[in-house]
Amino acid sequence: MDIDFGSKLEDFRAEVGAFLDEAPTPAIREAGRKLTSVFAPFEQCMEWHQILHKKGWAAPSWPKEYGGTGWSVEQRYIFAEEYRKRDLPPLLPQSLGMVGPLLIDLGTEEQKEKYLPGILGGLDFWAQGYSEPNSGSDLASLSCRADADGDDYIINGSKIWTTYAHHANRMFMLVRTDNSGKKQQGITFLLLDRVDYEGMEIRPIVGLDGSPEQCEVFFDNVRVPQSGRVGEENDGWTVAKHLLKHERGGSAASPTLKRGLERVREAAKSTPSGFGSMMVDDPVFQRDMGELEADIASYEHFEKLAVSGHPMANDPSFPSMNKTMNSELVQRVSVMITRVTGTEAIPFQNEALRVGANVEPLGTDLDLVAMPYYLNSRATTIYAGSNEVQRDLIARTVGREG
Amino acid sequence: MDFTFTDEQQMLRDSVSGFLTKNYDFDQRNEIVRSDTGWSRDIWRQFAELGLLGLPFPENQGGFGGGATETVAIAEPFGAHLLAEPYIACISLGGAAVAAAGNSDWLEKVMNGDAIAAFAYEEGRGTADPIQVTMQATPTDEGFILTGEKRMVLAGGEADILVVAAELDDELGLFLVDPSADGLSVTSYPTMDGRRAANIRFEAVLANSIMEKPGEAIRTLLDNAILAICAESVGAMGALMKQTAEYAGTRKQFGVSIGSFQVVAHRMADMKIAYNKARATLLYSAALIEAGEATQKDIAILKGQTGKLGREIGEAAIQTHGGVGMTDELSVSHYHKRILANDALLGSSEYHLRKVGTLS
Repeated sequence: MDIDFGSKLEDFRAEVGAFLDEAPTPAIREAGRKLTSVFAPFEQCMEWHQILHKKGWAAPSWPKEYGGTGWSVEQRYIFAEEYRKRDLPPLLPQSLGMVGPLLIDLGTEEQKEKYLPGILGGLDFWAQGYSEPNSGSDLASLSCRADADGDDYIINGSKIWTTYAHHANRMFMLVRTDNSGKKQQGITFLLLDRVDYEGMEIRPIVGLDGSPEQCEVFFDNVRVPQSGRVGEENDGWTVAKHLLKHERGGSAASPTLKRGLERVREAAKSTPSGFGSMMVDDPVFQRDMGELEADIASYEHFEKLAVSGHPMANDPSFPSMNKTMNSELVQRVSVMITRVTGTEAIPFQNEALRVGANVEPLGTDLDLVAMPYYLNSRATTIYAGSNEVQRDLIARTVGREG
Repeated sequence: MDFTFTDEQQMLRDSVSGFLTKNYDFDQRNEIVRSDTGWSRDIWRQFAELGLLGLPFPENQGGFGGGATETVAIAEPFGAHLLAEPYIACISLGGAAVAAAGNSDWLEKVMNGDAIAAFAYEEGRGTADPIQVTMQATPTDEGFILTGEKRMVLAGGEADILVVAAELDDELGLFLVDPSADGLSVTSYPTMDGRRAANIRFEAVLANSIMEKPGEAIRTLLDNAILAICAESVGAMGALMKQTAEYAGTRKQFGVSIGSFQVVAHRMADMKIAYNKARATLLYSAALIEAGEATQKDIAILKGQTGKLGREIGEAAIQTHGGVGMTDELSVSHYHKRILANDALLGSSEYHLRKVGTLS
């Protein structure tokens, strides 16, 4: 065992810190401060993506030959830490974290050449078309169909919970190409090079926090080229499972959790407990914070073991354990934020939340984001495979550890 | 012992439920919430005609002399229908303060539906206990001068009269303030659960004292308001449980209704247990209050349990609904938001549960 991060890394930390202090525009910083979701405000997020790309830092986890940074796992962790410390908006995961790595692994040379530069450079945004109205946790039952017709497919059906589809210019999706066998067979993975095909309609859904983040996407005889297929026809489930590893794996989520706690602790200094002291000095609050902080620490250790290549990460249920732990910690931090903001979280302030809005919030930045963040975080145990489904997957592996 | 409603109380409850079912379904409610005023004067007038606005006030002050049980009988249906009208703000808080001070002029207007009275009490990130109120009242020759800020004043923006809680000689007093008084600045906003509230700054505002050294009167006022707030939350919890059970029974995944999965079935069972705990505590607390036997610990148990169990039910309802539970379109999240807002008012469950532990 060796816990040393290496002495050279302090220089690296300083270099990262200096760039992150200087490079983001005021609007990008504002987007980070007003973050209420995994999905940052779109425009500023893409602007920031392009700035990071110019620096060569957009995709630290990608292989170097595809534009990755070539950083060690320690360096990547430091980058994530410094990033979160500054409340900068995280880059959107669908392109960089999902379809990009998937194409690197499984795409054709033509697909890589056509799509990777736009993904890496932050010029394209890809929506993820998986869930359907009747296929949520039971994703393999999906019925949006694609019928081969010459060199094309004709798509009919609909997708739902397609995050930021109203901002997307491309889309990757699962379609039904065969009904004759098991439901997992007969699924095909498709890349759509545009989302304005004739017969395609995107409708945003207003969420419980009052913001449109999710969308429905309707397909009415939409003709797309077969060249967008990844893998073989009817082999899309294998492709999707491969991608889920990227979706559920996460890279360095604990710095975000720790930053959340830090903001709670800061606010607790000026919030009365009702028992004669400020919350930060209140033993009950300290006990609750301590329990959460310790749980986050264990998760951080789990993450660090994983990125260091410890065999724990080879467990087939690792992505499910990671997703379950992280999502539930996100929710607990969000509850702690609403606890410290109290009645100041009750005003509905969506106008003040908009980046660039010239509306003074009623209280602090934390008061402003507390409730939308809490509400939005309810989705973390639902999306990317509900935690019920994750626990089913984990349960199947118990007792089979190597 | 008997914790059931009397026939009269049941009729009252049925009539409120019936009125709201007819005039206040979720779509009608949303239209009202999205309107400029955020609540309906028309509904308010009909509440006055139904006698609801005078219900909790003593008969010798022109009210109907309703007690704690009557409050529960009407506030549960309010919660089940996500009422946007300021009943708690103007009747359980503002009106109750005016009544406690014996100010019959304003009370009459409130009961007739001709005036909205708001209670300016909360400060900072919440005022769990009256001893946390920091606003000072300074006596002068012309009257009392108030300086400071009140926040989260329910219906504060549309109030015709403000009843302000402020410190006078280390004790809390109640003061009447005209909302158009010099030195007052009001910032109104919608709340996330579909109500209206305001932050109000006082710069040397002239006020009339209506109650000095109120002692237990403020506690009684807050206790009764807490009962109304909790009844509303329990009404919302009941609606959530019913809707979630329906959804779990009809939503199919893996070829069967999701309610047939044990993990979902057990969550439904936990929701039902939580609801029954909360409702039992609500009804029992109402009986205690009515008998004049409710201690500070009893009230803290009521507020603490309602907030905690309500959060459990709301979060379970959203999780069981999955994606659709995350939408603005379904009422599920709106119920949860009402429960959360009610939890934050007058001290959260975190505060009250700790208080339970501190009281012997």
